[in-house]
Amino acid sequence: MRKLAAILIITLWHAGISGSSAQQPASIWDGIYSDAQAERGAAAYSARCASCHAVDLRGNSNAPGLLGVGFMFLWEGRSVGELFTKLRTEMPSDQPGSLPAQTYMDILSFILRSNQFPSSEKELTAGADWLNSVLITPK
Amino acid sequence: MNKSALVRSSVACVGCSLLFLQLNLSAQIEEFTDIGDSELQNPAQGEWLHWRGGQNAWGYSELEQINTSNVGQLQLVWSWAMDDSGAGEAAPLVHAGMMFLPGPRGVIQALNAANGDLLWEYRPGITPAMEGSNAVALGAEQLGDALMPATAFAGVGRGVQKNIAIYGDRIFAATENASIVAIDARSGLLAWETPVADPALGYYYVAGPIVANGVLVTGINGCERYKEDVCFITGHDPASGEELWRTSTVARPDDPGGDSWGDLPLHLRAGGDAWVAGSYDPVTNLVYWGTAQAKPWARVVRGTDGEALYTNSTLALNPNTGVMEWYYQHLPGETHDMDEVFESVLIDVDGRPSLFKMGKLGILWQLDRVSGEYIKATDIGYQNLVNLNPVTGKVVYKDGMLPRIGKQLDFCPSTSGLKSWRAMAYSPQTSAMYIPIALNCELATFGPVEQVLGGGGTGPVRRVNYPHPDAGDNLGELLVLDIPSGEVKWRYRSRAPLNTAALTTAGSLVFIGDWNRYMYAFDADTGEKLWQTRVSTSAQGFPVSYMIDGVQYVALPAGNGGASWAALLPRELAPELTRPRSGNSMHVFALPTQARQD
Repeated sequence: MRKLAAILIITLWHAGISGSSAQQPASIWDGIYSDAQAERGAAAYSARCASCHAVDLRGNSNAPGLLGVGFMFLWEGRSVGELFTKLRTEMPSDQPGSLPAQTYMDILSFILRSNQFPSSEKELTAGADWLNSVLITPK
Repeated sequence: MNKSALVRSSVACVGCSLLFLQLNLSAQIEEFTDIGDSELQNPAQGEWLHWRGGQNAWGYSELEQINTSNVGQLQLVWSWAMDDSGAGEAAPLVHAGMMFLPGPRGVIQALNAANGDLLWEYRPGITPAMEGSNAVALGAEQLGDALMPATAFAGVGRGVQKNIAIYGDRIFAATENASIVAIDARSGLLAWETPVADPALGYYYVAGPIVANGVLVTGINGCERYKEDVCFITGHDPASGEELWRTSTVARPDDPGGDSWGDLPLHLRAGGDAWVAGSYDPVTNLVYWGTAQAKPWARVVRGTDGEALYTNSTLALNPNTGVMEWYYQHLPGETHDMDEVFESVLIDVDGRPSLFKMGKLGILWQLDRVSGEYIKATDIGYQNLVNLNPVTGKVVYKDGMLPRIGKQLDFCPSTSGLKSWRAMAYSPQTSAMYIPIALNCELATFGPVEQVLGGGGTGPVRRVNYPHPDAGDNLGELLVLDIPSGEVKWRYRSRAPLNTAALTTAGSLVFIGDWNRYMYAFDADTGEKLWQTRVSTSAQGFPVSYMIDGVQYVALPAGNGGASWAALLPRELAPELTRPRSGNSMHVFALPTQARQD
C-alpha cells in the first residue's frame, strides 16, 4: 500500500500536479544546476569551505574529501537533498547554518560540477524538496 | 595656526598619548628578564615557562595559596576576548608578570598577567618587523598572514595555534603557513621568520616549538596527502632562525626501517605528523616527541600491512643534532586512526627515569626515557580493538577488527579517541595522573583513496558515533590513575566531554573544564568537586597557574572550534547542550584579599 502511494505521489509530481512550476529532472545525470551557479559556488567554496576541505576539494585530517572516489564512497546512493541538508545544518563547522540558503545551493552545485555531474539551464533553488528523490549515482 | 602647524600639533598630541601609554606599560615590560636554559630547567616559583609548566610536561604548579580549603572563594579577576578567527586551544606562558597568549591564526598577545592590560600584540602580516630582520626580505606569500594563507592546501582552516616557547628575550611560534617566527618579547615586533616547508603542499603547524639545550625544536603537520616528501621535526637556532637539522618522522625506502612500509615509494608514505609539542630532559639531553598515525588510516587503504615506522611512536631526539637515539612504536601498523602523538610526561619512578604517554586507545604507557625500553602499560578498559600483552607491551588486533574497504566495523573508542590533545597532568603530591577522557564508540566503514600525488589523505570513513556502553549518557570523564600502579584512584564523569588539559597544583587541586562552559576545581586526592564557574563558551585549551606580587592566579581558557571532541560528538550525542558560535577567551581567577591572608 505504501509502495503504491509512493508511486502515485511520484507520478503526480512528474505530471506537475505537486505544485512545482516545471517538470523536475529524475536523475542527477539530467543536470540539476546551472554553470553560472556553480561559478558562484566556487567563489563561496573558496571563501568558506576551502580552508578545511582544501582548494582542490580533497580534504584533510579533520574534513573529508569532496572529490572523486572519496566523495562517491561517502555519498553514493544517498540523495542530493541529504547532502544539501548536511551542508546547511552542519557547515561551515565553526559557523553552521551561517550562509544564505541559496549560497549552500551554489556550493552544492560546485561540488556536483567538480565531480563531473552535468549542468543544465536551470538553477538549483533553495527549498527544492524534490532533491530528496534525486540520488547521487555513478553513470 | 597654519595647516602644517596644526598637523604637527596633532601629531605631537598623539605622540603624547602614546608616550603616556608607553610609560604605563613600560614598567611591566622593564621587569622582563631574559630566559636561559637554567631558567627553563628550574623556573622561579610562580612562572609558567613551558606549555605544560615545566620541561617534564607535568602540567603541575607548585603554588599552594589556592588550596582545598579556600578554592571555593575564587573570584574572576580579569578576562580577555581573543580573536574568533579560528579554533581556540591556547597554551599561554607567564614570565615577569606578563602573560604571552597564543590566539588563532598566529596572533600573540602580551598581557599584564595581574590585571589583563594589553602590553603588545603581534599580528602576522600586520605587526612590523624589527630593524635588520630577515622578514622584510621575504615576500608576502612566504610571510604569515592574519587571514588564511592563499597558498595553503588545507588544514589551516581551524587556525589553531596551541603553544609557544620563550627563550632569551623572544617568543617563538610556528605558523599555519609552515613558518617559525621569533618575536621580541618586550615589543611584540617580528625578529625573524623562517619558512620551513611549502604550505602549498599541505604543510602547516598547529603545535609550537619547545626550547631544548638552546635549540628550538618543532614538529610539522599536514602530511596526510601524497607528496614527494614526508613529515619531520626540525631544530632551529633561536638567535638567527637558521635550520640546524631536520629528522624525518617517516622511514624512507633506503633508511633503516624503510622496509616497514613494504615496497611503497616515498610519495605514498604519508602521516607521522608531529602535531603535539614534546618534552625535554636535560639529564639525558633528549627531546621526547610523539608522532601521529600513518595515512591513509587503514592498512588496506594505504596499501601495506607493515609497521610503518616511525608513525605512532615516541621519538627520543638529541636536540643539538636531531639524531634519533631511540624510538618506541606504540601501535605498529596502526589501522583505525588511533593516534599516539600526544604529550610525553617525564616522571622518575623509584629512581628510574620514565616517560608516560597515552594515546587514543587509552593505554597508559611507561617507557624508560634513557633507553626507550618498555616498562609497563595499563589499558584503562574502554577500547575493544587490541589485546595488550602487559609483560611485553605488544599489541595484537582482535579477530575481525582489521578494516576492509566497504565493510562496517563496530569499535570503541571512536576515531575521536579516548584521549586527545587535551593533555593529562601529574601531581607529585598524590602520585597520580589526571587524564581527560572522551567516552564514545563508532560504526565505521573505511573507503579507498586515489594513490596519486596530491591524493591520499586519511581516507573516507562512513562514521556513525554512539555512546560508550560503559558510560551511560556521559561523554566525558576525568580519570585519575595512581602512578606507577595504574590503579584507578577516582573518576569524575560528565554529560559533556571534558574539553581542556588538566592542571594540578600543590594546593592539592586539579582544574579542568568541559564543553558545556563549566570550569571546575576538584580535590586532587578525593575527587570532591570544590568549585565551579561558567564562562563564555566551551572550556578549551591549557589551564595554567602563576603568582605575581604574592597573589596566585589560575588562568582558564575557553574556545570554539576544536575538531571532533568539540565540534562533532556533542552535537550528535548530546544535542540538548548548546554553546555560542564565538567566544575564544581567557579567564583569570584569584582569591579575595581576606581569603589569601587566612
